[in-house]
Amino acid sequence: MDAEPGLSDQYRMASPWPVFVALGIPIAELGIIFGLFPLSVGGLLLFGGSAAGMAFESGYAKTPWRGLFGVAVPLAALGAAFVFTAIDLPDRGIAIAAAAAILAAAGIAGTLFSPTEAPEY
Amino acid sequence: MEVNGQLALTVLMGLFLVAVAAWLARVENWRSYTPVAGGGAFGQKESYGSEEKPSGVIRWLTTVDHKDIGILYGAYGLTAFAVGGLMVVVMRIELIDPGMSLISNTFYNSLMTSHGITMLFLFGTPIIAAFANYLVPLLIGADDMAFPRINAIAFWLLPPAALLIWAGFFPLPNVIPAQTAWTMYTPLSAGAGAGNQANAGVDLMLLGLHLSGVSATMGSINFIATIFTERGDDVSWANLDIFSWTILTQSGLILFAFPLLGSAMVMLLFDRNFGTTFFAGEGGAILWQHLFWFFGHPEVYILVLPPMGIVSYVIPRFSGRRLFGFKFVVYSTLAIGVLSFGVWAHHMFATGMDPRLRASFMAVSLAIAIPSAVKTFNWITTMWNGRVRLTTPMLFCVGFVSNFIIGGVTGVFLASIPIDLVLHDTYYVVGHFHYIVMGAIAFAGFAGLYYWFPLYTGRMYQKTLGKAHFWLSMIGTNVTFFAMILLGYGGMPRRYATFLPQFATLHQVATVGALLLLIGQIIFVWNFVQSWLEGPEVEDGDPWNLRDSGLYTAEWDWYDKKLETAIADGGETDDAAEPMLTDGGDVDDAADE
Repeated sequence: MDAEPGLSDQYRMASPWPVFVALGIPIAELGIIFGLFPLSVGGLLLFGGSAAGMAFESGYAKTPWRGLFGVAVPLAALGAAFVFTAIDLPDRGIAIAAAAAILAAAGIAGTLFSPTEAPEY
Repeated sequence: MEVNGQLALTVLMGLFLVAVAAWLARVENWRSYTPVAGGGAFGQKESYGSEEKPSGVIRWLTTVDHKDIGILYGAYGLTAFAVGGLMVVVMRIELIDPGMSLISNTFYNSLMTSHGITMLFLFGTPIIAAFANYLVPLLIGADDMAFPRINAIAFWLLPPAALLIWAGFFPLPNVIPAQTAWTMYTPLSAGAGAGNQANAGVDLMLLGLHLSGVSATMGSINFIATIFTERGDDVSWANLDIFSWTILTQSGLILFAFPLLGSAMVMLLFDRNFGTTFFAGEGGAILWQHLFWFFGHPEVYILVLPPMGIVSYVIPRFSGRRLFGFKFVVYSTLAIGVLSFGVWAHHMFATGMDPRLRASFMAVSLAIAIPSAVKTFNWITTMWNGRVRLTTPMLFCVGFVSNFIIGGVTGVFLASIPIDLVLHDTYYVVGHFHYIVMGAIAFAGFAGLYYWFPLYTGRMYQKTLGKAHFWLSMIGTNVTFFAMILLGYGGMPRRYATFLPQFATLHQVATVGALLLLIGQIIFVWNFVQSWLEGPEVEDGDPWNLRDSGLYTAEWDWYDKKLETAIADGGETDDAAEPMLTDGGDVDDAADE
């Protein structure tokens, strides 16, 4: 490792997102297992939003908005599976689907209303 | 009432999310992003460099630097070690007396369950991740881990995991601690029968364990990607250091073992909460044991391989010569990794499984002793005729080898079906595996903590206290766990809060040993904290005088450069401080031979 400053150390050493990705997962798990609707939705929103924010921050996505769809689609599928298949846990499925819907709505709102071009300096 | 509860929870959750969003908007300078790929936008000058981490608590909450995350893992692991250790002190004090005296039998069961899970999942795995995070990128010449943010996520999953695992001990209404033991055998853990294990405390513990598994899996993917793709130009497979080899092997084991545990625990949670019957009935109980031990035995090697790597790394530094048979130590690591997936049913010899299957598992279990012995002989031959310097880390390494031999040889006997049928579920087993987890794994952890102390603190620990820590730990370990082996020969069954009076003496001996261990660890904490704050500063990158014997390594080179390029921030150096007796190197006048 080269300790010469300014060369190898150019990448960011701080990111606010991981801690919230990590917090979203247990909150959602608790909500889904114990059937607590607000925790399920809130935990999944925290997880999905932070994951999208992190993908944007680290340069894997140009905007955070499509990342939200990326989380919403599998969640919607999971929610549907909980409601319509033999799993048969409709309340929890609806909670997961609700989180997916909110994430997707945020993604649509972001795509429509946020400035798409990089701000001018 | 029901609706009001939901409403309150919704409002609280909403407020929490708004607070998170507000905090994010505040802490994050939204225009400061340095795009990873493509040219950075001109005019955005606020890109972070390594010197521009946020300050204070925010720095630790937001860091994605592998060294910071390593420190976080270390602090977490040592905290869990203290919690799990204090739990067992209470249990050992209870066991001074044959009857139920200090704590209730159910509380004993709770402590026992939590002690096991805490030590394996909240101390063992994280303390290894601490060394791996801090050192592997330095050793292989990488700038950081391959996925720094996933690295941070993996760590931050652990504090919620600990809170969930310990949830039963907190004053929550209607939640009691799990009393399933760490193996969580069904039907007890499925909440069946008249017991109290249908309680939500067990669900919370399972969720916490699941989270710690997700964390370990994320970490392992990261290490595999890092070691495969981020090695420096001068680091090839041929000269990859032994510690990174063991981390790579361990990560492979985690990748195959932990997801299985996670799936099995989700199935168990479904059995408990949603009426599925995966583990119902006799077949279900055996299914759980197979699934659990298919994870559980590789877990043993997940915990022991990297400590073996630390020992293989440190012993040569204080023997004045290179690791004897380096290639064979690597091969035996890989062999243990492969074989570890073929021995799980030796935990189930007494279940009445097919004798032909049993014999094959016995054969593989005995076979795994061979690569383990290869390593042991290589450590001994490395020291043989070497210039041995008995510094504190080296003492812990020698203690590791000694305890590993006792723990390993008792294990060979257990691998043999007829002996296992006699000793199964006795204290012999407890003594055997504690020789490995405390006598070997924890010892290697201490060896690493002392050896790299100057690297991560910039200071030197106190030699006398370090040696007191070692000797109390070494004697304490052997007194405690040898007494347990004898108890097992006598037929004392494990997991009981009470016992027949004939076992009292050996139980008292074991308790004395545990108290010696407690005193040793108090000394360790004192030494660790005080030396970190006030120890003499290390002034060059070779505190162990490794250059003289040609055993200098990459991480100290990095440290040396860091010292050279450090910019003084004013203030006075504290040379007038009382000199402490340290363990060799330039900060110290007393030679430590």
